[in-house]
Amino acid sequence: MSAAIELVGVSKQYVKLEERAMLLRSLLPFARPKRTPLDALRDIDLKVDEGETIGVIGRNGAGKTTFLRLLAGVSRPTAGAVRVRGRVAPLLSVGVGFHPEMSGRENVYINGMLLGLSEADVAARFDEIVAFAELESFIDTPVKFYSSGMFMRLGFSVAIHVDPNVLLVDEVLAVGDLAFQLKCFERMRELKERGTTIVIVSHSMHAIRLLCPRAVLLSHGRLELDGDVEEVIARHHELLSEATDTGELNGEPFAGGVELVERELLGPEGPTTQVPRGVPCRLRCRFRFTRPVESPLVHFTVLGQDGTVAYQMRSALNHQHRRYGKGDEATAEIAFTPQLAGGTFRFLVSVTSVDGRQLLYRDTNGLLVYVPPPLGSAGIADLDATIRLDGEVLTDYPDLTL
Amino acid sequence: MADAYPAEPDVLELRAAPASRGELLRDVARHREVLMALARKDFQTRYKRATLGVIWAVAVPVLQAAVMAVVFSKIVRFPASGGYAPFVMVGIVAWTFFAGTLTVGAIAIVENASLTEKVWFPRALLPMVPALSNLVGFAISLAVVVLLLPLFDVGWGVRLALLVPATALLLAFTIALCLVLAALHVYFRDVKYLVAAALLVWMYVTPVIYPKDLPALARFTWLIDLNPLTGIVDFFRLGTTGVAPGAGRSIAITIAWTVGLGIAALEAHRRYDRLFADQL
Repeated sequence: MSAAIELVGVSKQYVKLEERAMLLRSLLPFARPKRTPLDALRDIDLKVDEGETIGVIGRNGAGKTTFLRLLAGVSRPTAGAVRVRGRVAPLLSVGVGFHPEMSGRENVYINGMLLGLSEADVAARFDEIVAFAELESFIDTPVKFYSSGMFMRLGFSVAIHVDPNVLLVDEVLAVGDLAFQLKCFERMRELKERGTTIVIVSHSMHAIRLLCPRAVLLSHGRLELDGDVEEVIARHHELLSEATDTGELNGEPFAGGVELVERELLGPEGPTTQVPRGVPCRLRCRFRFTRPVESPLVHFTVLGQDGTVAYQMRSALNHQHRRYGKGDEATAEIAFTPQLAGGTFRFLVSVTSVDGRQLLYRDTNGLLVYVPPPLGSAGIADLDATIRLDGEVLTDYPDLTL
Repeated sequence: MADAYPAEPDVLELRAAPASRGELLRDVARHREVLMALARKDFQTRYKRATLGVIWAVAVPVLQAAVMAVVFSKIVRFPASGGYAPFVMVGIVAWTFFAGTLTVGAIAIVENASLTEKVWFPRALLPMVPALSNLVGFAISLAVVVLLLPLFDVGWGVRLALLVPATALLLAFTIALCLVLAALHVYFRDVKYLVAAALLVWMYVTPVIYPKDLPALARFTWLIDLNPLTGIVDFFRLGTTGVAPGAGRSIAITIAWTVGLGIAALEAHRRYDRLFADQL
């Protein structure tokens, strides 16, 4: 099998101007606006075979969009070489690729032709494209009146009907109702069987895990990890937690008398980033007091991705009186057995005064942990259910990975 | 449907180096069907909402020319050999095409950024679109002028055939200028306003409404001929009224301008085409 996508030593540097370039100022050498180089991708080597499906993950600004732009040929690398075999079809979404004044019909033609079909080819597939997008009654409406769901459906439909060799999917699977999403997954599987290479960029670990056996993790423009999807997702969450620790995410964590010195999540075999169901874990935090504190309380909270409280526990009051002076350190160890369902959870530890009124330490972002969901399940708790119909177990899900 | 897969798929290879001239020209040629479709849609969307449709594209320049004809032949009294009315009408029609196209074409790459955000095609197509879609209105306006010629005692003749190369030169010059300006506009947004300002002045330094052989202008003939639009209006007058003193020199200068701008456009687009997206 030959490589459908090949990147050799690819770097992309943008030049960020401090202010908008002005013709006159650029001509005067002493008044040139400041230019800051910005490395969006650094020295990326990657090979994707024909028919492979690969997920691309990473934090905002990690270089995912630039990566897709290079594959689509919209931009060219600053160094290295990008090779893509055959017809590349990006999924078009709101505002990109569609001309707002033109009707859905006209946009289908233009985009079909831009993606490499002849006018006759588009005409031959037109009905199928519209039927798949479920837009029969709106196809002659200018797309500026479309909802984001309608845009997404039309964009997806055009992209998959041009028989792409490489399909680029950028986060759009999040839109659309469940029935349409299933239809999309089905179509992508069909394309894959016919040899289409699929690249999916998403922040939804669920979608990535479901569709891609292989994933790559981008971090600050570098290819951090390329490998098995579970391994890559775990590393992604590790990096997210590190970013949280260093206050890199949303500013410094709140601190009013207590500082976090060190924090680690321990599994039965030492430090871990995963909390599989039923395996005892310990969250160990070392605090330092920046002022004298009497008998502090330790709170442990687990939040779901949407902020739902999945679990909360607080240390009791009626224990031996403790007194910490300035500069003293204390270690809090929280032992627990997770029974969480799939998703991303935030493990938060906070410290309050003995009456619970003064917040001495609050972790704004917490430790992010991804729990692979049992297939077919949803929610925050894992009850390990099985469903039988006339005695036959119907919940032993087959592997859905593409 | 599987048969639609290209037997031997093209390989897109991107490097830091600019595309070669041949590559750019091949890419543009390969996308000519897209170019025509974009021009058609541009034409349709422009006039679809207006009840009178494409009639506006013709009525406006013809009306403008009529006003000019009345003002300058009855009030100011420019002496134009072959009659002032046909002289000014043909000039206005050519100028209207040029100015109308340049205003849109010079900003086409930025304005259509959304089209090229995800799917690549040579950005050079975008500045060509307005020129092609305006060509329809221009052709009709020109036909109207030609039909009106006998009204002003100007007969039809073989010289009408000159209108074809004249139109070709107008189209080539306008497209070349649009390509260069649209590329500049990506980096310098002042271009939009510069074009608007330049067009205001440009119309009056071009012999559109006055004949360039006015005695008062005798000392500036060379300067006037250096203006690439002089050659164009001269060429069109040669094809309609048949009177255009010194047209040979001015047309030659316009051709030189067109070739020069064409080379500049080719260089700019092959170097920057895939970098435009980074600025949009």
